Amino acid sequence: MYKYDHIDQTLVNQRVAQFRDQVARRLNGTLAEEEFRPLRLQNGLYHQRHAYMLRVAIPYGLFNSKQLRTMALIAEKYDRGYGHFTTRQNIQYNWVTLEDTPDILAELAKVEMHAIQTSGNCIRNITSDAFAGVAADEYVDPRPVCELLRQWSTLHPEFAHLPRKFKFAINGAKEDRTILLCHDVGIELKKNKDINNGELTADIYAGGGMGRTPILGSLIKQNLPWHLLPSYLTALLRVYNRFGRRDNLYKARIKILVKALSPEEFARQVEGEWLHIKDGDDNFTQAEWDRVAKHFTKPAYKSLPALTNEQVLNLANESDKSTQQSFARWLERNVKPHQIPGYASVILSLKPHGTVAPGDATTAQMLAIADLADQYSFGELRATHEQNLVLADVKQSKLFELWQEAKKQKVALPNVGLLTDIIACPGGDFCSLANAKSLPIAKAIQERFDDLDYLFDLGDISLNISGCINSCGHHHVGNIGVLGVDKDGEEWYQVTLGGEQGNAAAIGKVIGPSFYADEIPDVMSNIINTYVAQRNEGESFIQTYQRLGVTPFKEAAYKDKNEKAKKKELPESKAAAGDAS
Amino acid sequence: MSNNTSTIANNIDTHDQILHFPKDGNPYLAANEWLIWASSQDEGGLPDVELGHSSLRKILVPFSWWIEHHHEADIQAKAKNGQIAVWFAADDDILKHADIIEEGKKVWPLVAAHFPIFRDGRSFSTAVLLRDRLQWEGEIRAIGDVLIDQLLQGARVGFDSFALRPDQNLDVALKQFDLFSVTTQNSWRGKRASLQAH
Ligand code: HEM
Ligand code: SF4
Repeated sequence: MYKYDHIDQTLVNQRVAQFRDQVARRLNGTLAEEEFRPLRLQNGLYHQRHAYMLRVAIPYGLFNSKQLRTMALIAEKYDRGYGHFTTRQNIQYNWVTLEDTPDILAELAKVEMHAIQTSGNCIRNITSDAFAGVAADEYVDPRPVCELLRQWSTLHPEFAHLPRKFKFAINGAKEDRTILLCHDVGIELKKNKDINNGELTADIYAGGGMGRTPILGSLIKQNLPWHLLPSYLTALLRVYNRFGRRDNLYKARIKILVKALSPEEFARQVEGEWLHIKDGDDNFTQAEWDRVAKHFTKPAYKSLPALTNEQVLNLANESDKSTQQSFARWLERNVKPHQIPGYASVILSLKPHGTVAPGDATTAQMLAIADLADQYSFGELRATHEQNLVLADVKQSKLFELWQEAKKQKVALPNVGLLTDIIACPGGDFCSLANAKSLPIAKAIQERFDDLDYLFDLGDISLNISGCINSCGHHHVGNIGVLGVDKDGEEWYQVTLGGEQGNAAAIGKVIGPSFYADEIPDVMSNIINTYVAQRNEGESFIQTYQRLGVTPFKEAAYKDKNEKAKKKELPESKAAAGDAS
Repeated sequence: MSNNTSTIANNIDTHDQILHFPKDGNPYLAANEWLIWASSQDEGGLPDVELGHSSLRKILVPFSWWIEHHHEADIQAKAKNGQIAVWFAADDDILKHADIIEEGKKVWPLVAAHFPIFRDGRSFSTAVLLRDRLQWEGEIRAIGDVLIDQLLQGARVGFDSFALRPDQNLDVALKQFDLFSVTTQNSWRGKRASLQAH
């Protein structure tokens, strides 16, 4: 894992001092709130419904046990005893004070952490594959590039006040676990002997994003040698900075510029700008690569035999049938293949049914998980886009032991990738922008689908919930998406179907008029029942949906509504027109 | 100067000190000599500074106005005299007028770039392009909604003088430039510290 050198450390320390001074000026009244706002946002400090919220960066999702202990203690000392892991590999604290924030940042700086550019109209925390460096399907370890770009983007002066926020994702595996195409810029790393002599290259996708107008990014550059990334990205950002719309908040994202110009024309303009700087000294040097890459070597793996799940189960040597079965389930859902024989990656579920919020971890859990990381995974952890945590390097022979420990912390529910592995934003419970609550909806769905056998039988289904059009919960890319909307001061929920993340990323379609909160569990049941009734052998939810189209699901979703309407109207007329459209 | 001064003019009109931060020197304050003129609001044409507005002797005209008027004899005379320079609006596409800027290099004592609001970063790119692409070596002044917490970024992209918004505390402003002793990307002021790391 990357270790700060004195430059990184000095920069972060000086940033703490700078922010401390800005807070002091805010508190003594010489800095107006309106002018402080962008400054605090660039340090991850939001003002939300009840209090300040601090968003701390976990660059490309990678952290260690020492850092997790600090996160835990910050939750204890400055918050209410929990932290919230987000889809963008950050951790959020919901109840901090402005006065405490500089001290929190100082504590974070001691363990090489910060909140720089976790919000605001600048280059945000760069996200990547939570399984980087260990995934069996990886062809390039993206972490050196992630780290080089983290440094390049940190306090970049030219791009400190872009038209809107700007998000990078970087992937280097066969399966895209970053939703590359939903980012302002997605960087796909490749190593191909036919291209650039087998050197590391990047394909650049631009103009993706969710929010009000979800758009998937377009390929604008192929086979860019890795060391030219700074000049190319500078050209790209410069075009966006100069010509992105600033007159309308909703049209200021790069996706609108790319769409307005067309991806081809946007690419042409970037190329025109790049021409002047591509040979300049902004580009990365081999020495920089070497300095950074040496931190991402493999840990001290033992040479071990590769085990099948069956062998792992036998090793567990448990007579108790029920335990056998739940361990087997956990192996199937929460344990992922590894590059190194005898090792596996383990996902700790932060979605136990009935909890407060998907992605929450208490101080006690964080401290215990830090110990697990030390004991089972070289002291390192990852935060996933789905709001879970990963121990990436676990010996297969230790899986049973780890599972028992994880169960004690209630992070062993085998629901990874299943219907209750819900991504949800904080919604109306915390967020001042919300139109509706998200968390009670997530909870109600988890309660409805609490039977693990049933969930298992349903297989892979993603369900994402956002409390407003900003799409923090990524509802657009859920197989099933739920979006909170406001109608005349009342909370309603709009359902989308057919969204997908990963290589076949797709934006879901709204199925029709929205529902009341208490209708949602039934709507979900009706949609799921349709899948169960219509699926072919071995077909996942999204495959069935793609084969059948939206109609049967839509009819099922509005079934109860239409029946109610029918009953009401029956005396006068037989025809009860559904309001689904 | 006419009564219907624009906010642009006001921002500097009432400010008599300019914060200078030369590339290889220390920050210091100096008296302002330049009146910023926003032509659109003034139908009387270029104000006659000799006729006496305070100590402001020279005029920064909008670049778009310069494009239209710089061939006029009295403008040429004033420019030769060092009394006229230009400011770029945030949405001026300076690359479209590289030839005019090339000519301007011979006469303008400085150029300025405008921040319509502090969180509009377009002029950061303007400064970079002026320095890197168009090889402007003279002073570049930040004008408009220029606040203390923009100084550092401004200084790094190529600005070396700042007409701060009049309510800003100049003592605090003077202390901004040494907040960071390291950087992780190149700038007009120097190469990234990370090149030296090992
Ligand atoms: C109360 C806490 C939160 C506040 C105040 C907040 C605020 C915002 C705002 C203002 C935006 C809109 C930016 C835009 O217009 O595109 C946004 C977008 C977003 N937020 Fe949050 N958010 C919060 C919590 C979260 C959480 C917990 C997550 C992750 C689980 C999250 C992930 C995201 C993502 C991924 C987007 C962007 C969607 C896109 O790519 O366009 N946010 N958030
Ligand atoms: S989607 Fe809306 S409600 Fe949910 S956290 Fe984001 S801004 Fe808040």
